[in-house]
This record gives sequence, C-alpha cells and structure tokens, in this order.
Amino acid sequence: MSILANIFKKLLIAGGSFFAVTFVVYFFNLDMKLTSKIEPFLIKHYDTMPRETYL
Amino acid sequence: MVVKAENYNRPGDKELGVLFDGGKVRKRREWRGLKDTLYDYGRWLHIMGILAKFIAKPRNIKAMFRYRWMANYLATPHMIDKFTMGLRDEPLRIVHTSMDFVVYDVASTLDNIFRGDRRTGNDVEYSKKCVLSDENAMTAFMMGFPTVHAILREVPCMFVANLLTQYSSTHYLDVAQQAGIPGDVCPMPEAEAGTSIDDDFAVLGCCAVQVNTTCDGSLMGNGIIAKRLEREYGIPTFQLIAPMRHREPDVQKYAAEDMKKAIAFVEEHSGEKWDWTAYFESAKRVNDATRKRMAWLEINSTPYPQFVGAPFSLYNDTNYMGNCGRSKLFPPVDAKLLKLAQQGYEAKRMMAPEYRHRCIVWGVQPQYCIDMLNWMVHCWGVVPLTDMLSMINTKMIAEEDTPENRDQAYYDMAWLNENMIMRNRTHGGYKVLVNELWEFCDMMHADMVMMWEHMSCKALDGMHGQFEEQARERGIHLVWVCHDLCDPRVYTRQAIRNQFNDYMRTVMREEPLDPSIETLPDENAW
Amino acid sequence: MKDLKHLLYFENLLLNADNELVEKAKEDGKICVAFVCENIPEPLLNVGNAFSVRLRAPRTDSMEISTYYMTSFLCEYSRALLERAIEGGYNFTDCIMAPDGCTMINRCVENMELLKALGTDKDKFFYSNMEIPLKADENGKELYVLQCKNHILAPLHDTYGIDTSDAAIRKAVEEHNKVCRLIRAIGDYRKGDKPRITGYEFHVLTLATYVAPKYLLIDKLEETLEELKTRRPEKKDYRARVVVVGSEVDDSDFIKLIEDTGAYVCADRFCYGSIPGRDPIELTDDEDALTQVCSQYMYRCQCPRMMNMEKVYGRKQFVNDLAKEYNADGIIYEQVKFCDPWAYERTMGSTMLRDDFGYPVLSVDRPYNINSSVGQMRTRVQAFVESIEIKKIRGGAK
Repeated sequence: MSILANIFKKLLIAGGSFFAVTFVVYFFNLDMKLTSKIEPFLIKHYDTMPRETYL
Repeated sequence: MVVKAENYNRPGDKELGVLFDGGKVRKRREWRGLKDTLYDYGRWLHIMGILAKFIAKPRNIKAMFRYRWMANYLATPHMIDKFTMGLRDEPLRIVHTSMDFVVYDVASTLDNIFRGDRRTGNDVEYSKKCVLSDENAMTAFMMGFPTVHAILREVPCMFVANLLTQYSSTHYLDVAQQAGIPGDVCPMPEAEAGTSIDDDFAVLGCCAVQVNTTCDGSLMGNGIIAKRLEREYGIPTFQLIAPMRHREPDVQKYAAEDMKKAIAFVEEHSGEKWDWTAYFESAKRVNDATRKRMAWLEINSTPYPQFVGAPFSLYNDTNYMGNCGRSKLFPPVDAKLLKLAQQGYEAKRMMAPEYRHRCIVWGVQPQYCIDMLNWMVHCWGVVPLTDMLSMINTKMIAEEDTPENRDQAYYDMAWLNENMIMRNRTHGGYKVLVNELWEFCDMMHADMVMMWEHMSCKALDGMHGQFEEQARERGIHLVWVCHDLCDPRVYTRQAIRNQFNDYMRTVMREEPLDPSIETLPDENAW
Repeated sequence: MKDLKHLLYFENLLLNADNELVEKAKEDGKICVAFVCENIPEPLLNVGNAFSVRLRAPRTDSMEISTYYMTSFLCEYSRALLERAIEGGYNFTDCIMAPDGCTMINRCVENMELLKALGTDKDKFFYSNMEIPLKADENGKELYVLQCKNHILAPLHDTYGIDTSDAAIRKAVEEHNKVCRLIRAIGDYRKGDKPRITGYEFHVLTLATYVAPKYLLIDKLEETLEELKTRRPEKKDYRARVVVVGSEVDDSDFIKLIEDTGAYVCADRFCYGSIPGRDPIELTDDEDALTQVCSQYMYRCQCPRMMNMEKVYGRKQFVNDLAKEYNADGIIYEQVKFCDPWAYERTMGSTMLRDDFGYPVLSVDRPYNINSSVGQMRTRVQAFVESIEIKKIRGGAK
C-alpha cells in the first residue's frame, strides 16, 4: 500500500508540476515568445544558403 | 434583425484588446473562465503533441533548415489563438475540433512530403508512390488510388504558411517579380512560381498532375513549375483540364475524358491500378461531407449560427479539396462538428452579446487576415454566416459500384474538379459569381455582404460595378474590403480592418461592441 | 520608299470601329458578327450572309466608366472595349461571339451583356459565350467542334437564318484563304535585307483584314501586292530586325514607334497579327470542313492559355523558328498592361529565348493606347536597339 501510495504521490507531484509549468508556458504565451526569438536566426540562415535560382 | 443573447455573460477577459501589445506574438493567452481555459489549455497540449511528434523526426528538422517556408510553422499555436479569440462553449469547441484536425492533417502532409523529398527524407520507394497535385486542385482523380499518395506540396508553402505568418509569401513574390513576372498578377500563383524559381519546393513523386485551377494566373504559373519539374527533376507532368464554363452541359464530356487520361497517367507512372472499390468508398465519404456541410449551413441560416468564420472556410477547404473523400479520418470529425453545432444551436449559444448584422463573406480572402471574420463578430456584432469558398458542390455523386456508375464516375470526378473551391465561382459566368450571391443572401437571411476585393483577382474585379449596382438595388449593405491576398505590404491588416470600421461607423452609424479591438497593433505580428 | 497607294485608305478604315466597309456590308444586308479573340475560328463567322469584325477601340482616351465596372486591374484592351460599347460604339453589330478564353475578355463581354451595351433596338441581337480547348489534343478538337456548332453556327442559323452548311463553311474558308494568301505574300517582302514594306504598313493592312469585311478588301490588297513587286526599298539599312511577340496589338502606332527608333519589325507574332492569324486553312475532302477548321485553329494556336507542355515549349520554339525565318536580330516580347496570361508567357518566353536560344530580348508591358506612354516605350526600345547594334559591332553571336 505504502509503495502504491508513494508511487501515486510521486505521480501526483510530477503531474502537478507538469501542469503548473505547462500552464504557465501556455497562459503567458511563452512558447510563442520563444519561437518568435528563433525566427530571425532561421531567416538569416535561409538568406545565406546557396540556391539554384532560375526559371 | 438584431439578435441579442439572453443573459450574455462571457466569462473571463471582457475586452480582447488586453491580449495585444504591438509585439510579434500576444502578450498572453486569453482567460476564458476556468472551464474553457482548461479546455483550451488541453487543446494546446494536443497541438504541442502533434508538433513534438513532427520535430522528433530528423528529416523534418532537416527540412526546417532547408525550406524557408518551414519557419512559418513556428507560429502554429499562434494561428489557433487567432481563430479562438473571444470564444467560449460550443463555438470554442467547434473551432478547436476543426482547426486542430487541420493542423494534424497539415502536419501529416508535411511529414509525407519530407519522407519522399530527395533533399531530406529521400525515401525513394515511398516517393515512387507519390503524385504531386496543385494547391487549389481537387484530388478527385486520386479517389481510386488508395495506395498512392496525393501530395499537395504547394499548400503548406503558400496557402497554410500565410495563415501562420503574414510575411510568409513576400520573399517568393519578390523572387518572382525579379524574374520578370509583373506585380499585378494574383500573388498566389506568383508566390508558387517564386517558390519554384527559388528552388524551395520539396522534390518528390513519380509524376505531377497540374490543373488550371482558379484563374489565368494559376494556369500560367503551372508552366513555370512544370518546366523545372520536368527538365531539372525528371518528374513528368500532366495538365488536367477544368473547363471554364463548368455549368454548361456541353463541356462535361470534355472534362470527363480528360479525367480518364489523368487517371491513366497516374496508373502509368505509379504502377498502380485504379481501384473502383476504393473510389466508391471515397464517393460515399464525399457525399457524407456534402450532407454535413449543408447541415452546418442550415444551422447558420438560423438566428444562432455556430460553425462560422475562418475555421468553417478552412475546414471545408481541407476536407472538400485536399481530402476529397479519400481519408477515413474526416467523417468522425464531421460528425462531431455537427453534433457540437446542433448542441450550440439548441442552447442558443452566441459568440457576442448581440448579432447586429448577418453577413455573407464573398470574394477571395487574404490568408494573413482571415481571422478578421472572428474579429467582426466581437468588434461589431457582425456574424459571418458563410463564405464564397464554402459554397461549393451540393450535388450527390454516384456511390454504388455499378457499370453505369463507373461511367458516371468520370463525370462526377470531373464535376468535382470543375467545382473546386474558389474557381466554382470565379469561373462559369456571372451567374455563379453574382446572381447566386443574392440567392444565398435570401437563403441565409443576410442583410450584409462583406466583399473581399482581392485587387489582383481579375475575375472578381471584373464584376465590381455589377456587385455595387445590384447590391444597391436589393438594399443589401455591401462592404468593400480591399487587399492583395498574401502580400501585407500592399494592404496591412489594420488597413483591411479600417475599411470595415469606416463602413460601420459612417454608413451604419454604429459603435463597436468591443472598442479595444477596433484598432489592433498587429503590424509586426506574425 | 514611295507611299503605298492604298495605305491612307487602310489607315482611315482603322480610325473607326464602324468603318465605311462595315457600313457598306450592312447596307448589302449582311449580318455583322463581332468577336473579341483569335480563338474563335474566323471563317465560321463569315459563313453565308455573315461577316466578322474583330472589335477594337481606336483612339481610346478615357476609360473611366469601364474602370468603374471592371476596376483598373483588368487589361486595358478589355476596358477599352467595354468603354466603347457603353458609349454606343458597337451598335452596328448584330451579335457577339466570345470565348471564355481569358478572364478579362470574359468579364468584358459579360458586362456588355448585363449593361445591354450592344444591340440597342435590335430584338435579334445575341451574346454567345463558348468554351475553347485548353490543350491541343483529340479531346480538345471534339470540344471545339461541339462548341462551334452549339455557340456559333446554331445561333447564327436559328436567329438570322444564315447558311451554316459544310458547303457554306468551305466557301467562307476559300474567301478567308484568299485574304490570308495575299497577306502572307505581302508579308514575305519583310524577309529580305531590303524589305519593300515596313512593319507598320504591314500591320495596317493586316489589321484591316480583321476589322473590315474581307470580300471588300481583296481588290485593294491585290493591288498593293502588285505595287510591292516593283516598289523600291529604302536605301539605308535598318539598325536591327526584330520580331514582336505578345498579346494583342491593335494599335499600329506601337509598331510605328518601334520603327521610328530605326528598328524594323520583320515579323508579327501577336494577336491581330498575321502569324498565325493569317495562315491559310487547307481543307481536304476527307473530313467535314468544321472539324478541319477547328483542328487547324487548335494545333496552330499560339495563345498562352494552351497549357499542355508541348504547347508551352512549342510556343518558344515557334518564336525561335520565326526569328530564323525572318532573319531577326532580336525579339520584343510585349503585353498589354494587366494581361495575366501574357505576363507569365512574357517572363518565360523572354527568359527561354534569351537563355536557351541566345536572342537579345526586350520584355515590356504597354498601355492599350501607346500614345499615353510614348516616351517611356521609345526609351526602352531605343536602348534595346542600341544594345543589338553594339553586339553586332563587337561581332557577338546571337
């Protein structure tokens, strides 16, 4: 029982932490804020790539 | 007739302007009250799961670094937020059900593309069973090829990309114009041509089937794309005809015969045979989708429309055009959407405290501003009942496998092809473009038409005066909203919204329901 | 060179859509069939008692009303036609045949119909819209034949009692060919080093055959051909020989502008031009005339809307072959402003003719009425001609 209770407690803590962290990311739009910072680096990379540009 | 919500009390954020701070992304996500916020959060996790599964594959990461248009997909959750703005209850669930599935479908498409792409996944055997198809083309000719994959490779590059970020197409437009294509042509085929010129299309497939889809520009742009496919990549192309005067009986045989040739072309190059059993199963699903779409429209004709706006349009595009009955995954989603719509209708759910005007949205939408339809509801209480791209085929096609129906099937596929989104209205004469609009206004009890005037769309522009005069004769408020499809440099989002704002203030003499979003600082936003 | 005897006469014919020959034919009791696109087989509009007039809007200035109806983004040709129609300039016609070829012409004619701009006080006036093939193949041929039957011959017969039999079609083809052979023979004088006819003069003659009843032009064309046999060419050489390729050119001032810079327009591969518009149609007895006419129109068509890749590549090869045949130094790809099909065709054509076939190419768009943009066009053409000259001086290969 105590092992089960232990596992359940750990799962609850893990689940709760997961929820807390992800909810903060979700609500404060941190995922989009992060990816918007990545975009300029990608654009720079595309601009410097060699390309076969022709009709 | 103004419809007011009984005891309307939208939980959570009352003024939606609080979400915007002029940045690329929103300040935060919307607080919708506990229940709906948790629901939205759950759906966000679901989207994240789809994206995580996608980026877990190395070939997809490689694609991110190879193809410029892939960068737009960083903004996927941002796109969903645009479409769910201000929504609660069933309308929120309807948008998530439809759009989350579209995200899943696009992610699958991308995954398939990169699996076969010579530059990333390079799964040669898989690529041999892929057929490239055009952006706005119906995939009806693939309905009987269950083991061959239709790859609409232009859709993620142009159509979807511009839903995600407003500047997705500008680079390709610049490339095309540098190559000599004038700037007055429709930006959609121009951007596609630019993508080809810039060598930014994935390269895969045993063959390609092109269609003269929505306009002269689309027809002509295909030549540029086909030249590169054939001469550089050795991928043979077939040009499938969709007659212009598609309502006339004396063009149907022409279209059906060419459909036969397209199927023979795919058989020849893929090595697979046409499967009538698979075809008629797909046909059943097409009919089912048609029935569901008509049911949604029927609900939208009532005082309590449910499945409306951009998600309605985009989901129909995906299901009707991209899927065309081929996938078994769509019918359960359709059924769920109908159930939600019926629930919402019975509960008299409204998305705003009042619906002051019922609006048909006509013309071709700017992808980067299509969320304006949702904005119209919250800002001005104008509910968009349907749009031009959703007013497509309503005819049932033959679905029983009989010898007569096998002959009829070519005509049915040709009919679907002719009636692809957008072109079923932009071609076929003024009756399908102008006259039927007024019929829909009557049918759906609309007192307003929001006319997306895509300035480079010659088919719509050519009827400008007729729309004006006939709307006036009928006493219908016609709101012109001009744009350039996917080039926000010509008309910014706020410039687009201001056209609507100006009409509502000066002609209708109304005040906004939510003044905080009348002017949105989204010039720099994705 | 000494002026051609009938040049002024032909030039005057072009000043009005309702020219004196059209009026004469109407007085003779003939039915005037207006058309707006080279994809309508012309001989079919000249069967029996009918004669064809390809619509143009000479001396167009303002297009404000048509721009209201169609916006400023549609091609100026389509808007000019609508403007002229609203003004009543085409009331001499008895019907109009329009293909759903390009969106702009389609919308132009639809606006004419909705505004009732043509056929005032004419109970029998009709508008006929037809589908035309998008690919040159057997399926396309069958469609073409059916469409011509349903949307040209049947309405002409049912409304005006015009004889549309096989014999009538053959007769119309014979008359059509007479004119074509004359134009081709006259046009052959452009091939030599010292041409005996300018590109401008040739364009005037060719245009006249589109906009006036053919049977009333034959004698003057024959006389012109005779005249050319002994006409002394210009002594000085032209600075460059150019082929003009592109969308409709019904304004000879454009050709004149090019030639005023010292260039010579040796071949005309554009709508309202002679290639392939004035290719004779060879009929045999093996098949009905209608099918043969449709077949030849379809397979020789150089309109960019033909989308099968054989046609896409074929059009560029065709221009190359033409340039060789007429000994051209360079190619001018032109389009009327806001023409979508030619926007793409011009881009691809000019790139391929330059890169694959090695020709100097000038790629321009132009207003419908060239006089609204003379300075700009002249500058472009002059620079192009100079570049060809410099290349020649340096002994550069084409």
